[in-house]
Amino acid sequence: MLLGLIAPTGGSACILGRDCRADGLEIRRRVGYLPGDFAMYPRLTGAEMLGHLAELRGGTSAAVRKALADRFGAELDRPIGELSTGNRQKIGLISAFMHEPEVLILDEPIAGLDPLVQQSFHALLDETAARGGTILLSSHTLSEVERVADRVAILRRGRLAEVDTLENLRQVAVHRLEVDMAGGRDSDSGLAGVPGVKEVRREGDHLLISYEGSADPLIKALAAHDVSAIRSRDDDLEEVFLDLYRDRGEGS
Amino acid sequence: MSRPVLLMTLRQRWLATLLSGLAVVLVVLMTGALFPSLGDAIGKLELPEGVSELLGGADYGSLTGWMRTEVGAVYGPLVIAAAAITGISSQLAGEEESGILGLLLAHPVSRRSLLLAKAAGVAISVVAIAIMTWLGLIAGVAIAGGGIGVGKLAALAAHLALFGLACGALALAIAAGTGRRAVANAVAAGIAVLGYLLNGFAPLVSGLDWTKYLTFFYYYTDGDPLSTGVDLAHLAILAAAAVALTVVSVVLFRDRDLRA
Repeated sequence: MLLGLIAPTGGSACILGRDCRADGLEIRRRVGYLPGDFAMYPRLTGAEMLGHLAELRGGTSAAVRKALADRFGAELDRPIGELSTGNRQKIGLISAFMHEPEVLILDEPIAGLDPLVQQSFHALLDETAARGGTILLSSHTLSEVERVADRVAILRRGRLAEVDTLENLRQVAVHRLEVDMAGGRDSDSGLAGVPGVKEVRREGDHLLISYEGSADPLIKALAAHDVSAIRSRDDDLEEVFLDLYRDRGEGS
Repeated sequence: MSRPVLLMTLRQRWLATLLSGLAVVLVVLMTGALFPSLGDAIGKLELPEGVSELLGGADYGSLTGWMRTEVGAVYGPLVIAAAAITGISSQLAGEEESGILGLLLAHPVSRRSLLLAKAAGVAISVVAIAIMTWLGLIAGVAIAGGGIGVGKLAALAAHLALFGLACGALALAIAAGTGRRAVANAVAAGIAVLGYLLNGFAPLVSGLDWTKYLTFFYYYTDGDPLSTGVDLAHLAILAAAAVALTVVSVVLFRDRDLRA
């Protein structure tokens, strides 16, 4: 919709201060786009496809294209139809960045990329942001969102459920601790009553404790027990977001 | 019109264009080679009026009749319409279905200039097939021993070209409106075949005779270009239909939600 592929049923959208409907060409000149499912002419090589897309922009710097290709280790000399998903995705990334756009719209950009390329891609995102660029990135990989995003919007059934900084979302979100107790079976008694704790569940040999806000009351309560190990399950952002969905879900 | 899109369309279509052209040329050459031995033997077939009309008169006794029946009546228009219809359907609706169109239109290219460039690319392919057909006819007639002027052969090729353009423009409008390749192919081909049958049989039914004027086929074949040369009025009608359908395509394509 931002790029004019589908029309809104109502409302308006602006990028770079210009209306997406009225100034579509100008916006598309200044925006880089990577579709979620990046389709190209299978018989063309990557270099030919990028050349074509560059011509649609009235020409872009060959040096920038080359630098991006080197950076991602893209294979530009083979027909696109013969490339793996990851190698096709690299070409998509080059096409989105090759005209050095001020705004980027990237749909699932790391799909199929190996971790090293993901890393260099994220470094490129940092550089673009440092240059003053704006990046709108959609992803189901929440660890990626956590790594690159300043502000996060959560869509739920096509509606915006939440827009906030990652920091703030974390504050209100539920955290999880995995605790191993040296004591007996009923050593979890009492923990459920600690302020902030939402749930205490036994999972094999560990306790899985969910809590909100400060960890302090929980830690103090655990101090009375014989704890052999504590692990944070927090990096599993997915759980956090799932909770967010559940908590706010039915009201919206 | 977007020049890069036009060049890419030509690049995507050139092989199919060449093969379609060669398919016509081979048949024309064979037809030419067979005439001396078969034409006289068959002579003019006595067929029911509608059927003979479908076969362009079924007069196998003269080279003009032979070529009209073998190439002009069925095979030529079949190949050129198929190339035009499948060409534009794959270029527009096929690329929309595969997602390529969504990518191209995320670049600074307007929908109108993209559609016109695709249409122009396929139009060039259709004209190229007609020109190859013309050259094939010249050679085929020479093999058969001569007897039809180069100008008359060019007239048939010109009628073929505009018939193909009109069929292609019909497929273009359907592709632009629906974004579905199979629908564009099937509906445009169906209408073309229906036109062929109507033009052949409608004159036999007094109340339906007028329907032949609605078919592209009537304007393609009624002037008998192989005998009488080009019929400018009929060519103009086919051209006008192609232009009108292209305008309709631009309007249909302008505000439609593309499948991303």
